[in-house]
Amino acid sequence: MALIELEHIVKTYDLGLSKVPALRDIHARIERGEFVAIVGQSGSGKSTLMNIIGCLDVPTAGIYRLSGRDVSTLSDDQLADVRNLEIGFVFQSFQLLPRASALENVELPLVYRGVAKKERRDRAVEALATVGLEDRMKHKPAELSGGQRQRVAIARALVTQPSLLLADEPTGNLDSRTGEEIFHLFLDLHAGGNTIVLVTHEPKLAARCPRAVRLVDGLVIADGPGREVAAANAEALGAEALAQFQAAERAAQAGARP
Amino acid sequence: MTRLRRLLGELRDAIVQAAFSLVSHKLRALLTISGIAIGIMTVILIFMVQSGMSASFARQLSTLGPNTLFVHKWKWGVSGSDWWKYKNRPHVTMLDLRALQQNTTLPVAIAPLVNTLATVSHAGKDVKGVDVRGTTDGYLDATGWQIRRGRFITALDQEIGANACIIGADIEDAFFKGQEPLGQQVRVGPNMRCDIVGIFARKGNAFGQTQDLRVVLPLSSFIRTFGSKRGLVVAVVAPEGKVRETEGEVTAVMRNARHLAPDQEENFSVNRQDKLLEGFEQMMKATNITGILVGIITAIVAGIGIMNILLVSVKERTREIGIRRAVGARRATILWQFLCEAVMVALVGGAVGIALASGAASIIDLISPLPARVDPRVMLGGVIGSAVLGVGFGLWPALTAAMLQPVEALRYE
Ligand SMILES: Nc1ncnc2c1ncn2[C@@H]1O[C@H](COP(=O)(O)OP(=O)(O)OP(=O)(O)O)[C@@H](O)[C@H]1O
Ligand SMILES: [Mg+2]
Repeated sequence: MALIELEHIVKTYDLGLSKVPALRDIHARIERGEFVAIVGQSGSGKSTLMNIIGCLDVPTAGIYRLSGRDVSTLSDDQLADVRNLEIGFVFQSFQLLPRASALENVELPLVYRGVAKKERRDRAVEALATVGLEDRMKHKPAELSGGQRQRVAIARALVTQPSLLLADEPTGNLDSRTGEEIFHLFLDLHAGGNTIVLVTHEPKLAARCPRAVRLVDGLVIADGPGREVAAANAEALGAEALAQFQAAERAAQAGARP
Repeated sequence: MTRLRRLLGELRDAIVQAAFSLVSHKLRALLTISGIAIGIMTVILIFMVQSGMSASFARQLSTLGPNTLFVHKWKWGVSGSDWWKYKNRPHVTMLDLRALQQNTTLPVAIAPLVNTLATVSHAGKDVKGVDVRGTTDGYLDATGWQIRRGRFITALDQEIGANACIIGADIEDAFFKGQEPLGQQVRVGPNMRCDIVGIFARKGNAFGQTQDLRVVLPLSSFIRTFGSKRGLVVAVVAPEGKVRETEGEVTAVMRNARHLAPDQEENFSVNRQDKLLEGFEQMMKATNITGILVGIITAIVAGIGIMNILLVSVKERTREIGIRRAVGARRATILWQFLCEAVMVALVGGAVGIALASGAASIIDLISPLPARVDPRVMLGGVIGSAVLGVGFGLWPALTAAMLQPVEALRYE
């Protein structure tokens, strides 16, 4: 049984005067243990799809099955529990509690899981150590750099040991080196058996994922090995993106042939 | 176990967040808190004064016999509108008194009462505001007052207008510490010297005022000194169980004395204690209504303050709500997180209000003869009341927070 099954998913935003079709007919399956990148131009519906997969939003039509359960049959409380127990979500804009320390932010999902205080603390510390932030635990988000904040957000997503890790442009706000570090973290997590779905607009990152899905105007246009899909996407994005992509390709080949 | 831990974790979190939220908006929190505090204090004080008044009224009632009727120009327990009607009636006079004394058969005692406040002096010392009364020998039976030492006014004193008086315990204390008052003289009013022939037993307070600061004179001497403009009140004591019959007889005798034709309206009133009680109950109802009204207005004002605090808080923390929902908070969690904030404001306000009321009560207790104290049950009521206020007015904003969709809350700028 696939972890994620999307059947004819449609999402239409009703703005009163006009209707915006964000997702038109999405059909996809993602197995346990996969590492999938979602690429596509701005406005193609990537975030909308991620929110639906993350049980933060519901589709206008179509069926979404998570571990075989039709999500539309779940109550609001059950959805909250699914988000807490099964899904770790990393947002593009971090979404950390501004008044809480890094440690408290990472502890939050465990509070809603009813984990005892001591264990909560231990696990949060461990998760922060995984992302290399053991020396910044008492800092508030405002006292951290962008990359550090994103790592806190990742630690928060990891701390519950979710079966599904969703990340919506986790490197979008970071410089390329920090982005690379974060991406490596995801590769490690994938190697450790996690299922990961990652939205990215960087072709060179998508190219390194085993599988990529390309969205255009709310439709799946391509679904296959990361390199092929990423190349097609970069082409569509224009000459500049393509050049960037090819440069990255060359660098990767040069690195692989020492 | 897990659920309990979750609950405790959430509660702790909610309290911390609520405190944060209040501290970061000190001025607004302060305004609302003082609104609640002043309201709660006012309501507590109103009910405190009211219960003090009814306590002393109960004492007062027990000092006047329940079987006593009072013949008076005024009708007791009637307010406002009929004022002119009663004002224009003739006074109850000595003639009426005599008619009652001679022509009634049922009463066990009849005594005229008239009083004024006057200054009483002895050996160069003045006591102001003394309750000076004129009456006759029926007074003790009619009122239940007792003589501790000496004697009361006699029929002869009344007959000859004797310069004799009976003094209350406070007068004795004021002039005759360690001396024998009987046989001494006091001056009552501007120019009347009279011999002290008796001393009343101590009565204590009624309506928060001493009843022992008084001097009683023969009615004839009183009228000679203070004039007869005031008219009399005649107290008539009915035998046990015959109040109605006595009232009938007194009315008939008075109508006769006033030469009223059968179809004429009475130009006097036969009052009973329960009329006084009615008047008192009306007053109590009025204070009750005032208290309740003030309470309601307070609750609305304070409630709007609480609601405002919460609405702003929900707006400011919309993203936070989205974040919490995204990592597993249920609607109920969000709901009582905000309720917690509302109840916290309300409770702080309530506590301050109770403290203020207690402070005011101790000051009143110190400077006035009224014993004042805030009942612990009233305090508990104040605490519960403010908590209910918090929940009541916090509910709607908290519900709007709980009903937010996670995506929408996360997108909020
Ligand atoms: N809340 C909303 N109300 C109305 N329209 C929306 C809303 N959210 C998204 N849309 C529209 O839906 C479409 C898809 O948006 P979405 O955010 O999924 O794009 P995206 O692929 O994530 O883009 P980006 O790469 O810029 O993040 C867009 O046309 C967008 O304007
Ligand atoms: Mg997006």
